[in-house]
This record gives sequence, C-alpha cells and structure tokens, in this order.
Amino acid sequence: MRREIPILITLIVGLVFLLGPITSGNIPLLDMQFRDLVSRHLSPWTTIIAAFALGLASVNLLRIHGNVISRQRSGWIYSVVLVVAMLFFGITRTMVELSPANRELAAFYNNFFNFLYNPLSGAMFALLAFYIASAAYRAFRLRSLEASVLLVAAVIVMLGAAPIGALIWDYFPALQTWLLRVPNLAGQRAIIIGAALGGFATSLRILLGLERGHLGGE
Amino acid sequence: MNLFNKLQRIDPRIIYALMFVALSFPLLSPLGIPLSVSSMTRAMYERIEALDPATDVVLLSFGYSPAAAADIHPQAVAVVDHLTKRGIRWVGVSFWAEGPMMIEQITSVLEARGGRYGTDFANLGFKAGAENAIAAFANNPLVITTDFVGNRTAELPIMQGITHIRDFGYVIEFASGDPGIPAWIRQVVDPMGVRMSAGAVTVSVPQFVPFVQSGQLDGLLAGLRGAAEYELLLQAPGRALAMMDAQSMGHLLIIAFILIGNAAYLVTKFTKKD
Repeated sequence: MRREIPILITLIVGLVFLLGPITSGNIPLLDMQFRDLVSRHLSPWTTIIAAFALGLASVNLLRIHGNVISRQRSGWIYSVVLVVAMLFFGITRTMVELSPANRELAAFYNNFFNFLYNPLSGAMFALLAFYIASAAYRAFRLRSLEASVLLVAAVIVMLGAAPIGALIWDYFPALQTWLLRVPNLAGQRAIIIGAALGGFATSLRILLGLERGHLGGE
Repeated sequence: MNLFNKLQRIDPRIIYALMFVALSFPLLSPLGIPLSVSSMTRAMYERIEALDPATDVVLLSFGYSPAAAADIHPQAVAVVDHLTKRGIRWVGVSFWAEGPMMIEQITSVLEARGGRYGTDFANLGFKAGAENAIAAFANNPLVITTDFVGNRTAELPIMQGITHIRDFGYVIEFASGDPGIPAWIRQVVDPMGVRMSAGAVTVSVPQFVPFVQSGQLDGLLAGLRGAAEYELLLQAPGRALAMMDAQSMGHLLIIAFILIGNAAYLVTKFTKKD
C-alpha cells in the first residue's frame, strides 16, 4: 500500500483539477462545483506546499554548506559567505514582515537589497554579454550549410534588433521581423505543440500511476 | 602560426576588453542612433491609451528577479510612467520571490513624487505556488490577504470592487522565466477571456511571438529595445534609450569578431586545400 496510496491520491486530486475547468454541475454530496472545490480547498494547499518547498530548500542549503564549513572542504569560505548572506536576508526580511510599521527596518533591508543584491545579480547576468561575444566568435564558423544558415540568421537578427542595423542597411529590421514572424514562428509553434502533447502524455502517465519518479523511494 | 591562424584563436581577454570599451563608450558619450518602433510595442501602447482612467485598474505582474532587471525593469518603469501620466491606477503582484522588491523600487519613487499608495497603486507582494498561484489569484485576487507592507488587501481603496481578474481593466506581465507568459495564457487569457500584453527578456522574445500572432497577447515588449521604443512613444527618453547606443556597439563588435574569425577560417581552409 506504500506506493498505491500516493498513486491513488495523485489520481483523485489530478482528476479534480482536470474536471474543474470543464464541468459546471455540482458534485453530489458536496454540493459544490469542481472549480469551487479546486479554488477554495485545493489551491490554498498548493500555495502552502510551495512555501514549504522554499523552506525545505533553505534548510537543505544550510545543511549542505554547514557540512562543507564544519569539515573545511575546498571553498568553505564561500559557503560561509552564502550561509551568512542567507541568514541575514532571511532573518531581516522576517523581522520586517512581523513589524510592518517599522519603516526604518524596512528601509535597512531595502538598502541591502537594492544596493548589494540587485547590482551583484545584475553583474552576474551582465557577464553573459562577454561570454556570448567570445562564444559567438568561436562557434559561428562556416563549417557546414546548417552552420552557415545559423550564422547568417544570427547576424541579421543582431543587426535588425540593434538601432545601428537600420543605419547600415534599411532592410535589416524588416528582414529580422520576417525571420521572427515566419520561420521562427513556425518552428516555435511546432515546439509549443510538441511540448504540450508530451506534457499531456506525461501527465496522463502520472495520473494513471505508470510514471512513478515523483514518488521517490527505491 | 601565421596571421590567419592567430585570428581564429584571439585571446578571449582581448575580446572582453574590447567589448567593455564598446559598451561603456556610448554610455559616456551617447551617439544618438535613431530608433524605430515595432508594431508589437505600438500595439501595447495603444491598448493602454484606450483604457479609461476613471474605471480601469491595471494589473502588473512582475515575473523577474534582479538578474534580469537590467533587460526588463526599464519596461516596467516605462509602462508605469505611461499609466501615471494617464492617471490610470495599477496594482502590482508577483509570483517570483524577488518580484515585490522590484515593484517596491517603482512605488517608492512614485510615493516620493506624491503618489498615494493604496489609492493610485499598490504592491500585493509575492504568492508562492507558481502557475497554481496565478490561477488562484485570477479566481480571487483577495486570496492575497495582506499586501507587501502589511495592509489588509480587501481594505485597500484600489482593490474595492475587484473580486476576479476580469475586474481589472487590463493585465500586463513582465516575464523572464517560469512562471511567465505561457502560464498566464494557460490559466488566465484562454480560459477566462482576459486581454493581456507582456514584456519579455530579449532572449525569450522569439518563443512568445506566436502568442502575439495568434492574438493571445495584444503586444509584446522585446527586452531593453522594447523599453526604449516605449520611452520613444511616451516622448520621455530614459535609461533604456540611453543604453541603445551601447547595445548597437556591442552587437557590431560581436559581428566584427564573427566576420574576422570566419574570414581567417576560410583563408586557412582554402590555403590548406591548395
């Protein structure tokens, strides 16, 4: 029964969620529609579970990096920085949430978020520009027909997207728009539909208990 | 190693240094390269122009973190600027943990300029649960019981009369990942018939163009360029327009390196054949 009960729960809850948008009558004995059962009674549980997942992730991070620090493994200094930063932001924000009238504390947290976390996060993302420049230089070579098509398309899109493209040649923006709205659109539609069908098939397998990876265990 | 072999193996540090110069020079000394406005940006602008300040409250969903803020936050600033100029009230919500802080960066500026929190705008904070949370919020926005600063959401003047997402005059999502635009289309646009526009990071724009073409999105702002185009339409040049010259130079440099690398590759290839 250890595996059958979770599979049964998955099937029942999944069916309720599935029937919510497509039925309108009342459920016998419960005197409410499936959509109301989902929105009033099941949806809040998903929020609670998601919030607990965030908490679990934090605890797991503390456990892993605490282990690295206590055993002074390679790079343990960075684990100290991570744990200190996590505790600082977590505890400060908790205190702000518990005393919303304390504007000084909120301003204290905001300053650290806006002037420390914000710029550091942005800087990490900005590094991508340099890596992309280097990677594009090394990867975009006319080695084959497919690589040539990729190269030409990339150059057209880059020049079409940047304002200077229109200065170099009037038609770059129009070519870029055509690339996005014709071949790209066709390919993206195929991917969206394929992914949706794959998701549907996988969801059906999970509901029917044929897919059990989410249950964990042996 | 001859010149052409060397040109195929330029030290990455040289590329990084030149990229740094190419990006920073236009920021210090703007070039003023003219910019055209795309139809996707114009569609979103005109949709907001058609809203009624007396009755419409706009819902802005901030689906990004500080990592993507450089590309997408200027879009939110430009749209809020537009809403403020037209006197249209707006409510911010986020299904990303850092989203409320991005909203707070905007609301604090508006409050400093005399805007009334709770009446002209509000920050409902973060709701965990990703796509499920979007669906729950859409069915009942008051499922978020307290806003970001601790007020009871039901008591906010701006939330009076709002019991379903259809009570908002319009929805705009600024997205850099998941949950993002597809989640909103699955849970809100298609099942509930709600009209929506979106802003996305540049790299994600190609995957959302089909939604514009199908009519599921009215308009789409494409990264920093989308924000710059919106500032142009507002006739209020800001950060995004100022950074367009840097983007132009960056793109030009990348293309120059690609051409140099390929020229050297082709010369080497044909030389070897001979």
